Amino acid sequence: MPSVELQIPALSPYVGVVRLALAALARGAGLDEEKVDDLKIAVSEACSRAVLAGEAEDPGSPVSVTWTDEADRIVIEIADRSGEPSEPTGSDNSLSFSSRAVMSEALLRSLVDGYESTTAPDGTRTTRLLINR
Amino acid sequence: MELGLDVRKVDSHAIVDVKGEIDVYTAPKLREKLIELVSEGSYDVIVNLEGVDFLDSTGLGVLVGALKRVKAHDGSLALVCTQDKILKIFKITGLTKVFPIHDTVEAASGAAT
Repeated sequence: MPSVELQIPALSPYVGVVRLALAALARGAGLDEEKVDDLKIAVSEACSRAVLAGEAEDPGSPVSVTWTDEADRIVIEIADRSGEPSEPTGSDNSLSFSSRAVMSEALLRSLVDGYESTTAPDGTRTTRLLINR
Repeated sequence: MELGLDVRKVDSHAIVDVKGEIDVYTAPKLREKLIELVSEGSYDVIVNLEGVDFLDSTGLGVLVGALKRVKAHDGSLALVCTQDKILKIFKITGLTKVFPIHDTVEAASGAAT
């Protein structure tokens, strides 16, 4: 099965690069434009979380993104070394109903067919997204 | 990746025409612009999202923050958006109940007065 791996520093300018690359891969794999749009948002959410945590704790630490085209689905894994998210609680995040993290979680759960996030004992957090064909 | 931000004043409203992608990299620029408007005394703001190609939770967070700022001055923040892919984000996060969303800038400025 074709697989592509990208590695970016955990810095915000690179999130758009991942989005662009994965959108191209998704179109190449035959996903329709609506699924491509949904995938771009889900990937952006997962990478933003890694970047926001990484910029706070270890700027430039690597975030790896793996794309695997399986027969009936696409699997995207985003792995970073930031452990659990520890976002600053600034004024923009203080509304509990609509804090960025809560909205991000809602988008991830809605826009892809499968979503899970796990943290290994060594602090590597992996976010796994599944998109059915 | 650039974010275009053009501000115009129509009557008592400040209209921000946003073009491009709003994500973790560009959202701080939008936040700064909206903070600047409020600090200048523009409390009735319309954010026109018709030129926006991409929006995620970082952009939503900025809009929610701006809404709180204008509300603190008894102001308003309305959005202009007709693109399904952007409206979908507001629906999933429940923000269609928080922001007035209009089809045109004219409708937004009329409704907000």
